[in-house]
Amino acid sequence: MSTDALLSVANLTASVDEKTILHNVNLNVRAGETHVLMGPNGAGKSTMGHVIMGDPVYTVNEGTITFDGADITELSCDKRSRAGLFLSFQAPVEIPGVPLSSFLRATIAGRPGLEMKGKEFRRRVKELAAQLDMDTAYLNRELGVGFSGGEKKKVEMLQLLLLQPKLAILDETDSGLDVDALSVVSRGMDAYRASCDGSLVIITHNTRILEHLTVDRVHVMVGGRIVREDDASLIPWIDEHGFESFEREAAGTADER
Amino acid sequence: MDALTIKHASAMPAPTWSWLRMNDTKLEIPCDLERVRAVTVEADEALTETHASFEGAVAKLQERLDAERTGLEDTRACVRAAAREAEDLNDLDTPALSAYQLRATRDELANDVAAAFETGIGIDARSYLNFLAGGTVVLATEEGADEAAVVRVAGTAGGAAAASVDVVAAPNSTLDLTVSLDGNGEGSDAAGLIGSELRVFAGPRSHVNVCVYVTADAGFTALDDSGYVLDEGARVTVRHTVLGGAHTATGLAADLRGDTARMDVDTRYLACGEDTRDFNYIIRHHGRKTVSNMDANGVLTGTSKKVLRGTIDLIHGCKGSEGSERETVLLANQGVDNKTVPTILCDEDDVAGNHGATIGHVRPEQLFYLGCRGLSQEAAEALFVTAKLEDAALSAPDEQIRANVVRLGSALVDDFKDFEEELA
Repeated sequence: MSTDALLSVANLTASVDEKTILHNVNLNVRAGETHVLMGPNGAGKSTMGHVIMGDPVYTVNEGTITFDGADITELSCDKRSRAGLFLSFQAPVEIPGVPLSSFLRATIAGRPGLEMKGKEFRRRVKELAAQLDMDTAYLNRELGVGFSGGEKKKVEMLQLLLLQPKLAILDETDSGLDVDALSVVSRGMDAYRASCDGSLVIITHNTRILEHLTVDRVHVMVGGRIVREDDASLIPWIDEHGFESFEREAAGTADER
Repeated sequence: MDALTIKHASAMPAPTWSWLRMNDTKLEIPCDLERVRAVTVEADEALTETHASFEGAVAKLQERLDAERTGLEDTRACVRAAAREAEDLNDLDTPALSAYQLRATRDELANDVAAAFETGIGIDARSYLNFLAGGTVVLATEEGADEAAVVRVAGTAGGAAAASVDVVAAPNSTLDLTVSLDGNGEGSDAAGLIGSELRVFAGPRSHVNVCVYVTADAGFTALDDSGYVLDEGARVTVRHTVLGGAHTATGLAADLRGDTARMDVDTRYLACGEDTRDFNYIIRHHGRKTVSNMDANGVLTGTSKKVLRGTIDLIHGCKGSEGSERETVLLANQGVDNKTVPTILCDEDDVAGNHGATIGHVRPEQLFYLGCRGLSQEAAEALFVTAKLEDAALSAPDEQIRANVVRLGSALVDDFKDFEEELA
């Protein structure tokens, strides 16, 4: 385990309904780094994000998750968020009856350095909305209700910029987006990196979103295992060849086991 | 004053199993409350200086209804059964009627609007509220006029205060009536009572819009009782916003007597801690092509309890009428007790009645999402309460009522003042 890692996942095995999804996974992300977690559908990438964030649906059977020097394996998700972790959802949930602005105000309440009084909060949120080309009328609408896929992703980006976490896991934030929405997400990621030099773990199976990002490390996951780690040069290779060879290799290894 | 209990209040017209404990409610009036005058009425003189009366308007409607009676014999079995003094072996096709059916049939035959008049909580609460009020304010519009009025009941701890208001809307007139039931305990949890008794006669093609806000602090009991009679083509919209008060009872009964009359009721409520909320809505469709809609939307937290009875009564002869009721309630805590009783009574073929209820606990994936943004279970619960309060503040009919909502919100939620600042 790297001692200077901001996030360190060590020998992590996790399951749901007694079915093991992640097998002895290791991942180290240092402050300010951008990592990419790639792999075919069903590889366990989203599970990885959810387990790091503390989704109670999953059981950690083995291993530890250390963040910012503290073991967070047993912490509830709200405490992990307050410690500086962020997970952007592939499919953000809808919460009827709760206006977006009320929700945003609740997310920053009690966070040292982020808490803002009424008008300042409204100004800050409007500023961020403008940065993301988002209509401020959304602020008074119920969270996620009737939002298009692109609008939901903009709301996720807005939260990323508002909360300025130390490390953000973006779970397929690019999926199902058109070119315009994709550029908004890219802009959001750039603004996040520029504003607080935070770390990023980008979960994706599409290389488009990575085109203008400086990626430090690429991890390929197949069948709940990390099967390959390399630098950014792996991205164009995957773009060219896909995941087939990794899947074949993983199947071969599984047969040996 | 001594402690007082009002039994069988807010009763459903057609009761269900008694063991379900939702046919009616028992209202406990706290003891040792001082009867106080704390009612202000803000209205133009044109509205209050009037010789019109609720009884007079009903009598005039009755004259017209009597003149329209066809005199044709009603041969329905229920009518024969209601008219029969004793069982007759020669007429075994006549059904036995339940106590409710017998009363309903006799009311229908009598076609007496004044005798059938009712309010949602019931006559005992009506008498008590009228006694507290001392006198009744009559707000009557002139034909074709467009008026507005505000009635404020400002309750204090240790006091019992109520308003009694009659509305008589002349043909083609419009009246916007706001009723604020505010109980300010000034930081104390001592008991207090606030209430209002409202009778509305909506004349032909009139529009009456009533908005009631209950913003009572923790020690208060609030009683909001009302009864409506709608003449031809009248449109009444009612908005009930019940945010605070240890025990609240909201009752509304409407008689859609005239053809094409329409009633829309929108209820929004919030209950926290050990609050109890009781709602009883009865809408009776007498006229042809009448329409009613009841929409309720609420949040329950803590170990609060709520009962909502909504009865749509499609009476024989109300051809082409439609009634619908819908409720959405969010249970933000496992400890809440929620009861919803939608009832549709029907004695007419050519009608439509719809009801639906969406009752939901906060789903695990919603809680996880909120958790991922730093909100614990308690903070999530507070968010639902805050959202309800903010919505109520934003749609408050005036600044004073908005200030009442903010005061209540600040007592219930830590950071509610931030919202106030944001609004400013």
